[in-house]
Amino acid sequence: MNAGTAIPAVIEPTDGLGPWRRYICRVCGLIYDEAEGDVDSGIAPGTRFDDIPDDWECPICNVTKADFDPLVPRAAVSAPQAATPVSRTSGVVIVGAGTAGWGAAEAIRALDPATPITVVTACSGDVYYKPELSVALTRGATPSSLRRETGAQAAARLGVRLMKETVAVGLSPASGTLRTTRGTVRFSDLVLAQGARSAAPACLPAHLCWRVNDLAAWSGLHAALSCGPQRVAIVGAGMVGCELAEDLAGAGHDVTLIGIEELPLLAMLPRPAAERLAAGFSKIGVRFLGGRAVGKVERIDERLRLTLASGETVEADQIVAATGLATEPRLARSGGLAFDRGIVVDPKTMRTSAEHVYALGDCVTIGGAPCRFVEPIRGQAEAIANAILKRDHSGYAHRAPVIRLKTRSTPVVIEGAPSTAGEWRVLQDDADALVMEQWAGGARVARLAA
Amino acid sequence: MAGALALDQHAFDTSPDPVGETVLARTRAISDGALRAKAHAIDEGHYPLEIMRDFARVGALSAHLKSAGGNFGLAIDAMRAGARQCGSTGFLMWCHGVFGLYLDHSENCGLADRMLPPHAAGETFGGTALSNPMKSFAGIEPMALKAGRVPGGYRVTGTLPWVSHIGRGQYCGAIAQVVDASGAPSHEIMFVLRCDEPVELRQCPVFSGMEGTSTWGLRLADVRIDDADLIADPAKPFIAKIRAAFILLQLGMGLGVTEGAIDSMLEVESVLGHVNQYLDNRPDEIAGELDELAGRVAKLAETPFETSTDYLIDVLDARAQASELSLRSTQSALLHQGARGYLMSAAPQRRVREAHFVAIVTPAIKHLRSEMTRLSKVAQPAGALT
Ligand SMILES: Cc1cc2nc3c(=O)[nH]c(=O)nc-3n(C[C@H](O)[C@H](O)[C@H](O)COP(=O)(O)OP(=O)(O)OC[C@H]3O[C@@H](n4cnc5c(N)ncnc54)[C@H](O)[C@@H]3O)c2cc1C
Ligand SMILES: Cc1cc2nc3c(=O)[nH]c(=O)nc-3n(C[C@H](O)[C@H](O)[C@H](O)COP(=O)(O)OP(=O)(O)OC[C@H]3O[C@@H](n4cnc5c(N)ncnc54)[C@H](O)[C@@H]3O)c2cc1C
Repeated sequence: MNAGTAIPAVIEPTDGLGPWRRYICRVCGLIYDEAEGDVDSGIAPGTRFDDIPDDWECPICNVTKADFDPLVPRAAVSAPQAATPVSRTSGVVIVGAGTAGWGAAEAIRALDPATPITVVTACSGDVYYKPELSVALTRGATPSSLRRETGAQAAARLGVRLMKETVAVGLSPASGTLRTTRGTVRFSDLVLAQGARSAAPACLPAHLCWRVNDLAAWSGLHAALSCGPQRVAIVGAGMVGCELAEDLAGAGHDVTLIGIEELPLLAMLPRPAAERLAAGFSKIGVRFLGGRAVGKVERIDERLRLTLASGETVEADQIVAATGLATEPRLARSGGLAFDRGIVVDPKTMRTSAEHVYALGDCVTIGGAPCRFVEPIRGQAEAIANAILKRDHSGYAHRAPVIRLKTRSTPVVIEGAPSTAGEWRVLQDDADALVMEQWAGGARVARLAA
Repeated sequence: MAGALALDQHAFDTSPDPVGETVLARTRAISDGALRAKAHAIDEGHYPLEIMRDFARVGALSAHLKSAGGNFGLAIDAMRAGARQCGSTGFLMWCHGVFGLYLDHSENCGLADRMLPPHAAGETFGGTALSNPMKSFAGIEPMALKAGRVPGGYRVTGTLPWVSHIGRGQYCGAIAQVVDASGAPSHEIMFVLRCDEPVELRQCPVFSGMEGTSTWGLRLADVRIDDADLIADPAKPFIAKIRAAFILLQLGMGLGVTEGAIDSMLEVESVLGHVNQYLDNRPDEIAGELDELAGRVAKLAETPFETSTDYLIDVLDARAQASELSLRSTQSALLHQGARGYLMSAAPQRRVREAHFVAIVTPAIKHLRSEMTRLSKVAQPAGALT
């Protein structure tokens, strides 16, 4: 046998405080496992959560310890034998295997070990944390290091039937049927967790521009960037575009970030905050071209050329389109579900306009607006699980999640629900920090720190 | 021919019929009368051209053509009425109708002017040999016919295993891959193949159904195709344009076979309902699904030339659902009828075989599913790991 790297033995706790515990980041869903520690940040395996220094930050989204909750272990569930076919004629069917789809499966399993669950997903079903995708290159992550569990492992753990690489194409709530590219599946309850897709305009065609919205796409970009520093143009200076710009620059690439507004993230941030962000970018070498719309993209030999509406051109080896997301309406419409920029759900039960059909995560709109963050998903999944299993439950209570921009050059935190109408007031603006509050109708609606 | 005589006695009214109610009522009268009576004979091999002629005369085979207002919903409903009594004839209606579609949208106006009026009127007959090229364009199999350019036309060689609604004096729409002198493929042509000498028509083995659809193997050895007979050159953009309409029209078959299955279940309800209540897929359930599907199909039929991917997926989804529903409903109808449905002359067992055909004729369920998967994928820049 080869004398390979020694696999560290699993350390057992000897401090008399009981078994190792796990803590979950409310913001991004990262799990801190005391057994594993956070070696990248210098926290040794076997470090109790309480013993972590207070200035430690979530390795993904930079929040501190205070934003972590204990991960309540769920009752162990005996998975059905892999060979036992789960009934096709009843049970819960979940469309999508992202955070929302797996989250719904987990929430149902936590309440009931027996309900048959089928997860239908267009992807492989592999489990990963999407927020990591915009900070992964700097950390030297690889597709396999980002994959936490294969779809098959997650399915076995939860005792669900996984139909991977299967596209849901149509649904009929009245007959309780979901049509997929591997046959028609019957459901007693359906949970739509289909996420949202890149809404890049036609001038950024998918065969020329990357869209970093899932692990498979990230893996493609990762492979394309693996042969050394390249010129990368990122179109769209929203959260994902800004985070990717910093991440790619941190990984040694020559990054140009192109935004339609004159400053990055100006659609969401008040001007002083956006200015700080822009200043941070120039410090780390990200070139920001603001106030520019993209006209077209062409391949010229091995290079790509972006022509801006102004007539300027940008040459690049890779182009990333980060111009926002939209829920794909076809599936919901095929079932006659109410749709308004996303699948319309009842804000308490997360039920769609059809009985026995629920939805959560990136694909829904609540009160006409999407909320595409990890934090709400857990509560939404719990409400759905309780509704499906007819348990007493107070339901989901939507509130705006804390938004954290994972840009280390200028971390930005927004609490509350900023509105386009409100007035921003500066509380502090010096070399240390920028603190602002937004007031609307005589009330403070949001607070920002950068 | 008996059918031709019968036709004269019908004294068809040809007054205007903008919404197609009359067309549909007359199509149903023929289906529920003459066609129903002949369904067993057709299953055993009778090729019902006399019925097809009747259908053409009442406008059942041309409702989707521009000259009749391009009413695809009506064309599908007419086909549904035929398939309800006889799936083979429903298939013939599609073969005939889709050939009309090719001519109607061809830019070769001379060809359409000559061929379309007698075709639409049921004076001449012909079908379509596009199964192989459709699968070839989807990457499922290689193109069967090859063509070489010659002055004023092409010379075409190759074999197609089975093509329906053809015979001597008839014709079909076909596609060949053009290869240059070195054998390298350049593009495809679509043309009218006249099934006369020197085209060889070869007897097919006996199938379990569709025996009355005049299905032949075609062998072409260096057959000349004149430029005047070209439907489209190049063929690919033309196919892209008519593809959704081609598949949409097939819905008439699946809807009709399912409706026939419901008829068979209801037929025995008064005598066997007390035991049939224990069966799955009862007539009311199937009827509910059928109505829902038919409603979606009617909506899709309003815009048969829409080019969006979403629209095409909707059409493929409906087509796949119609196949599955035909399989399930005909199976259930046989169980509902029991031994009486199992008689060789009984409709339920015939319909089971008809439903099998609905599910395997191009695009088969498996092709539909693979195509929907392909269309749902988001492309990635080249060089990506997939
Ligand atoms: C780069 C990046 C960074 C982010 N950072 C943060 C952050 O720091 N904090 C934060 O809170 N949020 C962040 N987000 C947002 C967050 O990741 C998402 O809100 C969340 O992951 C959405 O999960 P989801 O399960 O709803 O959707 P997805 O993860 O998109 O899952 C959708 C699933 O549905 C499947 N699917 C889609 N259509 C079909 C179909 N027709 N049939 C079958 N299956 C289908 C897909 O294959 C997939 O499995 C980030 C997002 C991105 C892209
Ligand atoms: C009664 C009847 C009537 C029909 N009438 C018509 C008609 O009017 N017009 C028409 O166009 N079609 C007609 N068809 C054909 C029909 O539409 C289907 O195409 C046919 O049934 C074959 O489908 P399949 O599902 O068996 O093909 P598949 O199972 O998908 O088989 C794939 C095909 O690919 C071929 N193939 C696979 N790999 C290779 C390879 N490496 N090299 C070469 N070949 C390969 C196979 O031979 C096979 O034909 C008829 C069929 C029947 C049974």
